[in-house]
Amino acid sequence: MNNEDHDIESALRRLRPRPPGPAVVSAIGRALDAPAASPSARGVILRWSAGLSAAAAGLLGFLFFTRAPVTAAPEYQLVRAEQPPAAVDVFAPVRLADGSFARPVRVRWSNETQWEDRRTNTRLINYSPSEQFGLIPMETY
Amino acid sequence: MNDAHSEQDWRAWFAEHGARLRLIARQWTRSDADADDVLQEAFVRFWKHQRHLPGNPNALVVTSIRRAALDLHRRTDRRALREQVVSADAAAVADFAPEADPRLQALASSLPSLSTEQREVVVLKVWGDLTFEQIGAQLEISPNTAASRWRYAMEALRRLVTARTYE
Repeated sequence: MNNEDHDIESALRRLRPRPPGPAVVSAIGRALDAPAASPSARGVILRWSAGLSAAAAGLLGFLFFTRAPVTAAPEYQLVRAEQPPAAVDVFAPVRLADGSFARPVRVRWSNETQWEDRRTNTRLINYSPSEQFGLIPMETY
Repeated sequence: MNDAHSEQDWRAWFAEHGARLRLIARQWTRSDADADDVLQEAFVRFWKHQRHLPGNPNALVVTSIRRAALDLHRRTDRRALREQVVSADAAAVADFAPEADPRLQALASSLPSLSTEQREVVVLKVWGDLTFEQIGAQLEISPNTAASRWRYAMEALRRLVTARTYE
């Protein structure tokens, strides 16, 4: 930087920029005086969210700790045991590999048992279907 | 958080520096009203979020002004170009108080004749008290480019002031 540049810079520093308008000064003064009085929209949302979350957590805690106590193990008693008649399907005779004949038979049945806990009026049902397939040898004359 | 400027009277600080900060804001805005809005928003934003930070607050406030001006530009990008042209003429003398010294008055009148790039470097160096490194960071240019713009600006101002003084 030469002397002429320095002179120009010194002269520039002597210039007096126009101050900001009174509205700006008063608005800044208000902001500095009451920083918490006018929270931003984001701040309002955050505070409401935090408040609602705390209320929800409190409600859940209240419900958790005040609900009816549950007894220990259930007490089931057998109230029903059924085995309906089996269904038997007999099919047409078939010829086996050794040249003999046999009749295919399919037998289907089911077992059902029911237990009940009278205190809680709950019922446990066990249903187990079964199927068996077999060949009845046939004698030919 | 530790408040590095807990004893600072920020109202007094703004009263002392508000004029030069407004001039800086004016470089990046299209009108005086926009400059006032940007300055207000930038200073309040700095005061709320950055006044606790250590060091000289000047560079932080200038950065805040720059960001607020860019935000305003994004919001009002579709505004008429007419405003920009009108404000460029009107800003010539209005940015500075009248000077009795004709050379100073010529200097104030010559500043708007600089290119936008040169003028913002001059304003940031003289009234922003920033180094070329800091100016480069603000304008996203190299310090050498900032220094080069400064030299060209000084040369142009010297010519303009000489011409205007002897008009």
